[in-house]
Amino acid sequence: MSAAPRPLSLLCELTYRCNLQCPYCYNPLDLRAYRDELTTQQWSGVLRQAADLGVVQAHFSGGEPTLRPDLVALVEAAAACGLYTNLITQGTFLDDAHLDRLVDAGLDHVQISIQAPQAPLADRIAGAVVHDKKLEALQRVLTRDVALTLNCVLHRLNHDSIEEVIDYAQQLGIRRLELANVQFYGWAYRNRTALMPSLEQVRHGERVVAAARERLRGTMEIVYVLPDYFGDFPKPCMNGWGRQFVTVTPNGYALPCPAAAAITTLAFENVRDRSLGDIWHSSEAFARYRGTDWMPDPCRSCERRELDWGGCRCQAFLITGDAGVTDPACSLSPHHASLASLREGDSEPVYRRA
Amino acid sequence: MKPSAQPRFGKGVKLRHDGNGSVMLLIPEGALVLNASAAAALELVDGTRPLGEIVAAVAERFDVSTDRASEDILELFERLEQRGLVQ
Repeated sequence: MSAAPRPLSLLCELTYRCNLQCPYCYNPLDLRAYRDELTTQQWSGVLRQAADLGVVQAHFSGGEPTLRPDLVALVEAAAACGLYTNLITQGTFLDDAHLDRLVDAGLDHVQISIQAPQAPLADRIAGAVVHDKKLEALQRVLTRDVALTLNCVLHRLNHDSIEEVIDYAQQLGIRRLELANVQFYGWAYRNRTALMPSLEQVRHGERVVAAARERLRGTMEIVYVLPDYFGDFPKPCMNGWGRQFVTVTPNGYALPCPAAAAITTLAFENVRDRSLGDIWHSSEAFARYRGTDWMPDPCRSCERRELDWGGCRCQAFLITGDAGVTDPACSLSPHHASLASLREGDSEPVYRRA
Repeated sequence: MKPSAQPRFGKGVKLRHDGNGSVMLLIPEGALVLNASAAAALELVDGTRPLGEIVAAVAERFDVSTDRASEDILELFERLEQRGLVQ
């Protein structure tokens, strides 16, 4: 077992409730199991414990975090501990008064997601008429003293609009744009045949992003999250299990990765029972895949083992049933061939619901 | 960025000092760990102090030539400016 390094980042999934129904959501399918949400006091304790552990950034996400009436209080609590605060929202509840209260509480950065650059497609993906409201929220945030990222999750239904997303961001004066290929967890894994982009879409997207980065150098930073099932090597998921990131679910479970609850072979612990520091340093679930000692071949002898850390444990589990094998997204994995069949197929998306 | 420029941090960019003497630049969804000279330079960013003055102060503090400090620090500010982290 390797000694625990210092975590830098805490993801607070305040609630899984959401007024949208995006089929690409990575939240778990059993949303109802997370209704027993932590109280304001419990979340404040988690933030304090995280700061004591060395965490420097708190991310408030969900679900839709602005559905928590205590969001302002929690941003304030995080800022009081010296934590940098990020709000990850779809923006439909960010009216002037609420935004002002959040900024006054010390909010440093807002990430707002759109589903597509055109209202009809965006609203169809979201399962709700919300696109125009998001535009208002984006304009509002741009006038405040808080950083803004525009995010768009890319998948088969909107990948062909990637240039229009960039234009949309440019017209608004967005400084930081995140174009994130969908990652297949939770609802997105269930909907993978409806959401999987074609190889043609992926290659086109890469060319568009490369050209836009060149053209917009110095005016817009484009963060491009690569598609999971198309590369030769896996993503360095969470920069290594239990290495820098910790997620706390709405009902208090501490996870090494936001998708880790899907791994049914691990027993995760709850911040209601044990402090975040204890869980980070000595829980079996965090220790299990930390470092490189757990690795089987081909990871064990691979020179990339401390670059990609074996890839994603959740993806390994979802595809092979064993969280302790090399991520099948790696071309060296004996399971890599099964990705080809996962890239195929077609279906109607199933909208997220509780 | 010219020596006469008066750099300031972009929105959502802040320096953080840890108890153990390490300094980080906290940025949207990330943190950059700074070496001693980068930290010393960024500590002087206040929106009014010219970059040339920052270079001279770092050169003096680390006892290196102004040319050498200038090269490193201008490059640092160039990279941060590209990402919108300083203006």
